[in-house]
Amino acid sequence: MVPCRRSGRYACRMNDRLRVIERAAVSYRALADLAETVEDEWQYVTDLTEAYLPAISALAESDSGRPLRAEQIAAVDEAIAEVGLITDPHKAIDWLSTFPHVVALALGGDVGEPAAGSGPGSDLDTDVSDDDSPFRILLDGDR
Amino acid sequence: MRFQDAARDARTVVYAGIQADPLVARLAGLLESASYAERLLARAAMNGERTGAETWRRIFPTLFGGDVDEGLRAHAEQLLAASLEVADRGDAARNQYRGAVVEELTAQLLARRAAGDAPVRRERRVLFDGVRAEIHPYDVTVESETRPEVYDCKWGARGINADVLNQLDDARAHAADEEVDLRVAIVVFDARRSCEIRLARSTANREGTRLIALETLDDLGEVRP
Repeated sequence: MVPCRRSGRYACRMNDRLRVIERAAVSYRALADLAETVEDEWQYVTDLTEAYLPAISALAESDSGRPLRAEQIAAVDEAIAEVGLITDPHKAIDWLSTFPHVVALALGGDVGEPAAGSGPGSDLDTDVSDDDSPFRILLDGDR
Repeated sequence: MRFQDAARDARTVVYAGIQADPLVARLAGLLESASYAERLLARAAMNGERTGAETWRRIFPTLFGGDVDEGLRAHAEQLLAASLEVADRGDAARNQYRGAVVEELTAQLLARRAAGDAPVRRERRVLFDGVRAEIHPYDVTVESETRPEVYDCKWGARGINADVLNQLDDARAHAADEEVDLRVAIVVFDARRSCEIRLARSTANREGTRLIALETLDDLGEVRP
């Protein structure tokens, strides 16, 4: 019975991680729906959402061997509660950029780099080396 | 090429009052020595709905959790308190305060490497022989004879637009016409990835413009070759 209990605990921990990330993704989608009402920024909102929503979901796979601490789950739920209070679509646009990074920091993951094929800048970052990129100086900062 | 103080109109006089508020310099000073996580906290709290510190402590356990070093936690507490002071000013005022904080932070980071012959200055225009002057001044300038620099500062990636990018690139090109290596950059207190997403749709010429985002702010204080 011991192996079963151990595997049950692992499944429970994984479920905690999956559930909190799912809640964050649902919250992010709602934030995007609000932000989309700013017509002039529809494209930017769409681009942000297409980049960050998969990145939030991908947090389920990061650091997957370690269970989340209660304070990590509470942090994400508190961030979800915070963005749930937003009614101004302009403020929602600001949070579309910030929320994924706040969630990633709390969970010990990263949403700063695109997965292959995601978002409008994906070719720029995944298929082209920085040295060859037409955006080289912008991307490199001080390099 | 030469630098010049920007003309002051009613709007700039009001904004100068905000720039001179001690809260701006205090918050920028705390951000200057802050980690990425603290800067993300400041961005979130200054854009937040709730202004109770306990909420933000719960959202950022990496800064306020039980296992965090006392010194780091104390710094984060000061930064949070100052950020919430900005948030408490209300939505209209906080927009102006946030902009002023990013400008002041940029100036403080550049001052790490400032020299007597390359002063860091604010709200300056750049004039070129035979070229009509730009209306909008640059937020921060490093006025070196040999390696001048101009910076436009933004609170969020959404503030990146063609006008800003074109003005920076035009300045760089006009300087090059005078055989001056003018370094131009945009500083955005927002995630680098969001800035890249914003830029990916822009058709403005920006090949010679640097991007300094939330994750790379410390680059401003490093001497470039």
